[in-house]
Order: sequence, then C-alpha cells, then structure tokens
Amino acid sequence: MKRRDFLKGMLATSFTVISSASILTPLTALAKAGAKNRDDWLTTGSHFGAFKVKRKNGVIDQVKPFDLDKYPTDMINGVRGLVYNPSRVRYPMVRLDFLLKGHQSDTTQRGDFRFVRVTWDKALTLFKESLDQVQTKYGPSGLHAGQTGWRATGQLHSSTSHMQRAVGMHGNFVKKIGDYSTGAGQTILPYILGSTEVYAQGTSWPLILDNANTIILWANDPFKNLQVGWNAETHESYEYLAQLKEKVKQGKIRVISIDPVASKTQDYLACEKIYINPQTDVALMLAIAHEFYINDLHDKAFIEGYSLGFEQFVPYLTGANDGIAKTVEWAEKITAVPADVIRSLAKTMVAGRTQMLMGWCIQRQQHGEQPYWMAAVLATMIGQIGLPGGGISYGHHYSSIGVPSSGAAAPGAFPRNLDEGQKPIFDNHDFKGASSTIPVARWVDAILEPGKVIDANGDKVTYPDIKMMVFSGNNPWNHHQDRNRMKTAFQKLECVVTVDINWTATCRFSDIVLPACTTLERNDIDVYGSYANRGLLAMQKMVEPLFDSLSDYEIFSRFARILGKEKQYTRGMTELDWLKQLYDECKGANEGKFPMPDFEQFWRDGYVHFGEGELWTRHADFREDPEINPLGTPSGMIEIFSRKIDRYQYDDCKGHPIWMEKTERSHGGPGSDKHPVWMQSCHPDKRLHSQMCESEQYRNTYTVNGREPVYLNPGDAKQRGINNGDIVRVFNDRGQLLAGAVLSENYPKGVIRIHEGAWYGPVGEDGSKEGGAKVGALCSYGDPNTLTQDLGSSKLAQACSAYTCLVDYEKFRGKVPEVSSFSGPVEVTI
Amino acid sequence: MNSINSARAMFYGLLSSLFAKEVERDLLSELMSEQGQVFLQHLANEDSFQPHIGVLNDKLKSLSSERDLLELAADFCGLFLVSGKHSASPYAGQYLEKDSAELFGEYHQSMVNFLTEHEMQLHSDFPEPADHIAVIFAYLSYLCSNASRAEQLSFIDNYLLTWVESFAQQVQQHDQQGFYSALASLSRAWLEFDRENLVNENADNAE
Repeated sequence: MKRRDFLKGMLATSFTVISSASILTPLTALAKAGAKNRDDWLTTGSHFGAFKVKRKNGVIDQVKPFDLDKYPTDMINGVRGLVYNPSRVRYPMVRLDFLLKGHQSDTTQRGDFRFVRVTWDKALTLFKESLDQVQTKYGPSGLHAGQTGWRATGQLHSSTSHMQRAVGMHGNFVKKIGDYSTGAGQTILPYILGSTEVYAQGTSWPLILDNANTIILWANDPFKNLQVGWNAETHESYEYLAQLKEKVKQGKIRVISIDPVASKTQDYLACEKIYINPQTDVALMLAIAHEFYINDLHDKAFIEGYSLGFEQFVPYLTGANDGIAKTVEWAEKITAVPADVIRSLAKTMVAGRTQMLMGWCIQRQQHGEQPYWMAAVLATMIGQIGLPGGGISYGHHYSSIGVPSSGAAAPGAFPRNLDEGQKPIFDNHDFKGASSTIPVARWVDAILEPGKVIDANGDKVTYPDIKMMVFSGNNPWNHHQDRNRMKTAFQKLECVVTVDINWTATCRFSDIVLPACTTLERNDIDVYGSYANRGLLAMQKMVEPLFDSLSDYEIFSRFARILGKEKQYTRGMTELDWLKQLYDECKGANEGKFPMPDFEQFWRDGYVHFGEGELWTRHADFREDPEINPLGTPSGMIEIFSRKIDRYQYDDCKGHPIWMEKTERSHGGPGSDKHPVWMQSCHPDKRLHSQMCESEQYRNTYTVNGREPVYLNPGDAKQRGINNGDIVRVFNDRGQLLAGAVLSENYPKGVIRIHEGAWYGPVGEDGSKEGGAKVGALCSYGDPNTLTQDLGSSKLAQACSAYTCLVDYEKFRGKVPEVSSFSGPVEVTI
Repeated sequence: MNSINSARAMFYGLLSSLFAKEVERDLLSELMSEQGQVFLQHLANEDSFQPHIGVLNDKLKSLSSERDLLELAADFCGLFLVSGKHSASPYAGQYLEKDSAELFGEYHQSMVNFLTEHEMQLHSDFPEPADHIAVIFAYLSYLCSNASRAEQLSFIDNYLLTWVESFAQQVQQHDQQGFYSALASLSRAWLEFDRENLVNENADNAE
C-alpha cells in the first residue's frame, strides 16, 4: 500500500481519541507576560551559603554569592543541579504492593519495587488512613514521627515543624532525643560544664586571635566544616581563619592539630601536627593530665575555686586505685604519640594562654562521652576557662560559632506543636508502658527488639513497638549506621511515609513518597550567620514548584484539610501572611535596638543587616563570680567527678573520665587482626551530610570513576595492588561497598576516609540492581554507613558510634556495577 | 486540513496521550471499541508497525482488572516518572545535551520558544519540562496542518530522530510487560514512515 493511501485509510476507520485532551493549550496573557525575561537578581539562602539567582525564561540560570559573603563555597555551584535533578520526586507516589494490600503488603519488596503515581488527595488520604490504622490498632507507640534532621533552611517552611504539627493534629507519636552529630557530647557536657557546649556561642575569634599563645585543634577541621551552617551561611569565620593563618606564619600563635589524619585545616594553616592512633584520645589526655599532676603544673587555685571532684579523679590518674599510672609511657603504647612529644605538649599547654578547640568526631564513637569530659578536665587543670583565648570550646567549627553575635532577636518559626487548646483526633497518651521519647540513634534497635529495656542518661527506656514511620526533609538511610541491619528492621514496618525533594534512599525504602519543592520554589525568611545572627535574609521564590511538588506548608495544609483541621493548622493565614507576621514580630522584638524597615522594603532589598556584634568570652561570667553565675551543673561548678553519673552505676560511663578499650580498634586494638583498618566517616567537604550528593555535575567534580572517593594511605594501597582511580571494595562482616581510590599521604597506615553523606545505592552480589534490596547487598556508590556499627556510645548517651568501625579493602576485580544511588526506585523483573 | 494531515495529526496526538500519562479506563475503552480495533488492525497492515501493534493490542486486550491497569501504571512510573540512569527518561535534553545531568535545559527552552511562537503553552495539568516526548508529539500533531513539510521534516530530524532510537532502547531495557517497549518501537517506526511520506510528498510537489 502506498503511504498516502495508508494514511488516508487511517481516517477511514473513523477512529478518534476523545478521552485525552491535548496537553497543549492557548497561551494565556499571564504566561505571555511571564515569558519575558526577568533579569533581576533575587536573593535566597541555604546551608551552603546565601546567594543570588538570575533566571532565564522562567528557569534558574546563574547563581552568584550573596554580596556580604566574602568567603563563599563552591557548593553553590551545585544548587541548580539540586533543583533540576533527574531524580526529583515529581509526583506523589505509592509503592504498588502497598497500594494493593496496605499494611499487609510484602515489605521485603521495599527498596526495590514498583511505585505508581497518585493524586495528592489519594496520597494524603492513604497517609491518613495508615495513621488511623496504627493509632487504632497500636496507639501512639506504634508511630515514630520524630526522626528528624537537617531539613532545608527557612523559618516558615521548615519541614520538621510542618510534618510534626500536622501529624500531631492526628495523634501522638514517638519522638527522639539528641542527634547523630553530637549525641555523646550534648549528653555528657551538661553534667560537666552545665550546657551542651556544642550548640552554644563561643569566645569571639578576635579575642582568641589577640590572646591565645597556643591553639589546640583536637580532631577538629574547621576549614572543612565551616562551609555549611544550620542557617543561611555567610562564612564570616573564614576571615578569622585567614588571620590565624597569618599569625601562625609570623610565629605569633602556635596551632597544634591532634588528629590521625592531616586535615584540610592543617594544610590551610600550615600548622603543627601530632599523629594519634584513632580512638585513643582519652589515653593521650590522661597522660597530659598525669604530666601536669606529677610536675605540679596544674592550676590548683582554679581547680579549688571552680570545680568539684579532682581528688576523686587523682587516684585513677596516678594508678593508686587501679594499679596503672597514666604516664606518658603508658599512653605512648596506646596512642603512638611519643612520650617526649606528650611531655612537651603538656608544657606548652600551661606555658601561656591555650585555647582548646574540640571537633565532634571523637565523641561519635564508643565511649564518646569520655574524650569530651577528659578534655574539660584538662582545661580545668590549665585553669584558663573563662579567659579570652583560653579554656575550651566544642563548637568553633560549626555554624559561625565564634563570630561575635549581633545581639539582635531572631525571627520565630512556623509552630511545630499544636496551638494552645487544640487536641489531636486520637487524643491518646497510652504508650503501653513504652517510652514516648527514645535516644535518636536507637530507633532501629527499637523496631528490631520492641519491649526491650535499656539504660539511657539515668533513666530506663522501654522500646516502643514501632509499626509506622514518617520522615520529612530527613534521610536516615544516610545518617544511621549499618544498612543491612536497617533493611531487616524496615521489613518489620507496616508503613513508611517520606516527604523529600529528590529520591533519597529513604524515599526508595518507603511506601508513600510525597514531593516537596526546593527552597528556590517558595518564599521564606531565614537568619544569616547562624549563631552570630548577622541579619535577616529574604528567601525569594525563583520559580514555581516543579512538577507536582508543593511547599511543606501547602503539603501539610492539604493534609490538615483531610483531617478537617485546615484552619487550625494554618490559622487562616497564607504563606505571605505568615512571612509578614514572622518578620513583624522580629521587627517588634528589635524595636529601638536594631532598625528594620517595613516588610515590603525588606523584601525588595533582600536582606536586613544587624551589624557586627560585641566581643564576648565564654564562661567569663562564671569565672568572675561562680556563686552569682554558676554553671548549669548539679553543683554549679565544673564537675571533674559527677556524683549524679556515678550514682547511675554504669560500667561504660563512670563517675569520672576513664580510658576504656573499644569493641573495635585499629593499630593493634580489638578486631584489628581480622579487619586491620579504621574507617573515618567524617562530615563531607563537598556536601551537607547527604544534601547535594545528587547534584550530578557538581558531584562529578570530586567522584573517582563515578564513585565516592575513598582516601587511602599510599603504602597500604600499594600492598593491596591499588592505584589512584581504581575501584576498591571496602568490607567487613557488616557490609561491603565500592568506592574510588585516592592515594594520599594525608592518611596514615591503617586509616581510610570515606565521607558520610554518600548516597546509598545497593546492588546484588552479582551486580544486579534487583539484588539491592537484599541484606548483604553491595553499595555501588560508597555509603560508609554500609559498614559502620549500630552501637550506643554508652548507657549514658546511647549515641551514634559510627567512628568505632574497622574494615578491610581490596582492589575490586568483579564486573563493575552501575551506580544505582541516584535513579529513583529500581524495578525488578518478576 | 487535508485528510492525510488529519490522519497524521490524530496519530501524533495519540502517541502524545500515551506518553503523557498512564493508560486509563476511557482511553482503553476507546481503543477496545470496534472502531478502535479496526484502526489498530489497519495500522498492522504496515509491515514495520505490525509486530508492535500486535504486542500493544494483546496487552490492551489483557487489561481486564484495576490491578492490570495499576501494573501498567507501575511500568509507566518506573520508566518515565522517576527517570535516571535506570529508566527511560522521556526528555529530549537528557539524550542530547552536554549537561544532560539537569532537566529544564536547552531543549526545554527551544520547545517553550516554539510553543510561544505559536501562541501555545503546556496545560497546567501537565507540569513537565517542554522537551518531554509527549509535548514534542503534541506539537508535531499541531505542525501537521500548520507548518510546511520542510519545517515538519526539519523538526522531526532535529527534535526526534536524534534521540528516539536511544530512548526506545532504554525503554526496552527497563520495561517489564512490553507495552511501552512496543509503543516506543512503534513511535520510532512511525517516525521513519512519516518522514518517508514527507520526503516523497516533497518530491511529488517538485514534479
């Protein structure tokens, strides 16, 4: 048949499609107007920095740093790739088997199976019906909606607030206490120094720079970690680091970094370094204390006037009560720090003004409470707490801590809780004898062993029987330990709901997945400068929410509508009403102190600057008068010995800091005969935790052979026949991953580093995507939490111990699988 | 509009609908109706369409329950709604742009410009980048009777034939039940057929 006849014949069948209208429609006047180029630069902010955006035909085109940010990070180059990511969650989706069978679905399919698109109404109704079932059948202990995390910035659309307020209008649920970053530190330090210290403003950098003779960076890499912040980061700290670098160069300040690896900060400052065996910091600290003590270098007046319990601690130090004097020779054997170096370090620390700056890594390990406590004891013995340029800080690598606070009032946020007088639909507080709050990192334990009773911070915690979890703006399939254990646990859950912007592993292991828009697709406000509160930033909507995504406010307003509580949820206010109210309340609180224009002017300007703050010294008031300004500890003093902790009678956290062996430790420690290498999984250099990992072009700037880099000691690598760029299999008895080899002298023998936040992409043992849901799967991209231990730090904090982790590695010789981390759910062949 | 262009426009419209969203009850009934079946059988007369029409029609006939439709919807979702390396991205830019890591790139911009020139835009029910294959087919459906053959040829060559082969391969690799593999293959075969038709029409006119 001739083509023309064939085509004519098509019409002759008189078939027409009437059910499907064209997806094209006449251009509206509005779209015509909008199609014109808008070439103004709009302002917004993020954890990675404040920045400005220019659009082209309704699409984000260029991104440049905020005018006041003099030290921007290159991570803002990854922003476009977050927004326009192929793995955007585009529509509300439900796992097919869950749609068909609800709470009786086959949960072994989670993580590998089929989703279908549904309408928002359908998805939110299913969400509500699942909550109904759980509240009816199990009560509030069956629901955990408290596993929350870093979210995106913005005071109005904060995903945690929205999810918890909305779910809270339906019923009560299990919540967490603590966080993965500083779980052990924030639990121990209130006993010792009276506050978490990790989340508190610290001595102003200019005072440190003017007064310190020596700065000890203990497991601390501020040059890497200050790139990101809790609020819109504007990187003022980097100016001070630049000044410090200059002072180091001129010999005016000694900076000594104590760390198993050569950090980015060491490289930047060109400072002194002391290598220490991983996880042995307490032993070194004890030896320094011993050296102070036997040489009478400690400040007895300060110890007497400001602390309690030194006399109970000394017999342990000298070995009077356990037969082991904590001498420099004793410590050398454990830490590999030469006795002479320890002696000299001790002398240096008391020779002038010494500022100790602690990183967070060493508390993210088994017995992570101990190094923080022992460091506080050292600072007390030195006697400079409360002096400018002396004492101890646990936060100068975080969110502008140390940048002088403006003193201005920060804006409020959308409420996380129900308003006064409101009650949930299921107003049931019966947790059936289980705890309503559990330590943050113990939820997987709870799913696996409901009813089990554990010790935690002086209380007994009874694990609730969790059947359903709700996550929003949070990716526990990044930050929790031991993926294979998580998989087993998730198979016990009846329903998992996740709200996010892109297909994280958490989305892939969920039943209902809801698309949130990014911060660039909604209006919001935020502080910039985090702890320093330098000003207020307008977060202006650049583009309409992509696909069928919605703002957090809109998602949970709709959910509240399904509950019949929309007005209670929104208070009858729009997004703009809320923004104005948050702004006006802030303006009112700053009246007469910090001038703020009206909202409209602020929105046009893009920001209001509060100016530079006054210099301040942490604990100076306490030093001035400990009676009038006591610490928040039980005694009001620094507690070298804690009667309270001692009364808990814990074998792994006693009345004063002690050295304890770990379940796994490299360099001759337990388990090192089988898996000889310590894996460090510190905060990434090019992401915020797992945020930004999916931004592909930006990721390509640091990946190796398409994989997350694994940093290796060249000698160790050579022994295993591994060269730069090789794909390496890293493994232990808990799991296995592939990563791309980077050989660097920055990493000593027996130590490797893989940054956490590398997206989990499991594939089967044969490299197949289908096998990815199985326990034992290989991570194709390099998520270090495939290998880490899901172990509480101690009976005190029960915190994440990701750093107590031994592995081994080899050159990967199998068929290299495709990376499966960034592609949404994978389909299996039936 | 001449009858040939009407037929072409109708078929491009049908392809657009099938790639735009999941097969729903209404469209299924239409294709299962007597007229629909006659239409599909007519298409099967063309050798290059025959195997694909066979698969499509068998699959359509087997869709008896809601469950069947959901399974097909799951195929659609896995292939086109969660795209990445393990699915069949429906966006031209993902195959053709240097920076194919990002959506809403150059090809989206070109398609928006085309649509704006012709006083059209995407329907608000279809919140997708404009280089989605369903948009390209819908636009081509419009071009059938609103543009010269040369323009149509040029559009097919530059905006479809440059990537539809790769797209069809991706669909085949990741499809489960074969419906969308057949649809993608039919699309490719149809484009070749229509291209030949346009070229010959041009030749006819030149005579």
